[in-house]
Amino acid sequence: MNCQEFWDHLPQRGHDVTEAQAGHVAECAACNTQWKQHRALVDGLRSMAEEWRKVEAPSRMEAGLMAAFRSHSGFQVRRALQRSWWTPVFAWASAAAATIAIAALLVRGYQPPPVPGTVAAPHRAPRPVVQVASVLAPETDSDDDSAVLGEGFVRLPNAPSIGPNEDFNVVRVELPGSAMIEAGISLSEDRAAERVLADVALASDGTPRAVRLVSDGGTY
Amino acid sequence: MAQYSAQTDDELLLRLRNGDEQAFAALYRRRQGAIYRFTLHMSGSPAAAEDITQEVFLALLREDCGYDRERGTLSGYLFGIARKLVLRNLERGRGDVPLEPETDDASPRELAIIDDPLAGLTRHEAIEALRRAVHALPRRYREVVVLCDLEELDYAEAAVALGCPIGTVRSRMHRARALLLDKLNQDRKPRLAVDAWKPMRYAI
Repeated sequence: MNCQEFWDHLPQRGHDVTEAQAGHVAECAACNTQWKQHRALVDGLRSMAEEWRKVEAPSRMEAGLMAAFRSHSGFQVRRALQRSWWTPVFAWASAAAATIAIAALLVRGYQPPPVPGTVAAPHRAPRPVVQVASVLAPETDSDDDSAVLGEGFVRLPNAPSIGPNEDFNVVRVELPGSAMIEAGISLSEDRAAERVLADVALASDGTPRAVRLVSDGGTY
Repeated sequence: MAQYSAQTDDELLLRLRNGDEQAFAALYRRRQGAIYRFTLHMSGSPAAAEDITQEVFLALLREDCGYDRERGTLSGYLFGIARKLVLRNLERGRGDVPLEPETDDASPRELAIIDDPLAGLTRHEAIEALRRAVHALPRRYREVVVLCDLEELDYAEAAVALGCPIGTVRSRMHRARALLLDKLNQDRKPRLAVDAWKPMRYAI
């Protein structure tokens, strides 16, 4: 064994050498000296490693990482929920069905005569804009729905009144001005062809009961 | 928590990927010390070491973190991330340890022939002298000493962390220890060490 082979085949840890390596060290004074230094250095590094093993990351880091883990897990849950495609579809389908029912009730019996030489525009179902509120009607003896539902509401023709303590929802929709006029809302004739914003009160069974006009600024 | 201590790193990783917070905590407690010490030795800054250690474990939360058990252990992978982050940190100039010029000096080494460069020092003095010597090493040698001697990774794990062949790790270790001995001898007995130097090519 030569010097190069001796150093190339030293074990990574410990001072155990093979018989051949021990024989080389016994014969080579230079390697013998270096080997002693090497052992002293490795022993020193081992002591340093033992001392440094007490050093750890500050304990506050664990709390921070656990919070990050929870946040990350929560994010995954939220993403999973967002992937439930049927949730928004169901919501929009329900709203659309309700507003179609309102429109049908409002325009029932009212069909403007066709103007000769023109083609009637295709019917568009009222588009729900936003659900405004879910309300519990106060108990009252009055037959006036405005008193129950709030200012500006007019009960729809042939619709039963909102009963005391009855749940109802208010949905904001776009409706033809003509339908509002038919429902008894005060609206000028020149706006009959416009689509106007309206709040519709829906009973818990989904039937429309009352309506009111929303001003152009979006508030009643 | 006891049930987690018997599990391998890979098993804990699988659990944490399935949302097991305790598995993440167990893996962190098992590995944080070594990663923090490595980054502290390499950056010289407790603040940087803290940031980097945190980033290393946050990387585990990403599904595409890049760990492949076929290529090495999770421990080696974590050290590898830590090393990259340390290098990025040093490149930004935020490291507190001034980098020495990176040279691949292939000239024959001169070795001091003092039998024990730490002889006569108290344990505390010896450790402090060693710490200074390790921190004075050029980065590529410092990292192998920290990984293999101080954190006791085997050469294969260190090779994964450093992204180099095992033979390179071995040769860098040999060179790093020679540099450490030089530094220790110069610090302790400058005149004696200089007088005693002999060219290695004559010694071998």
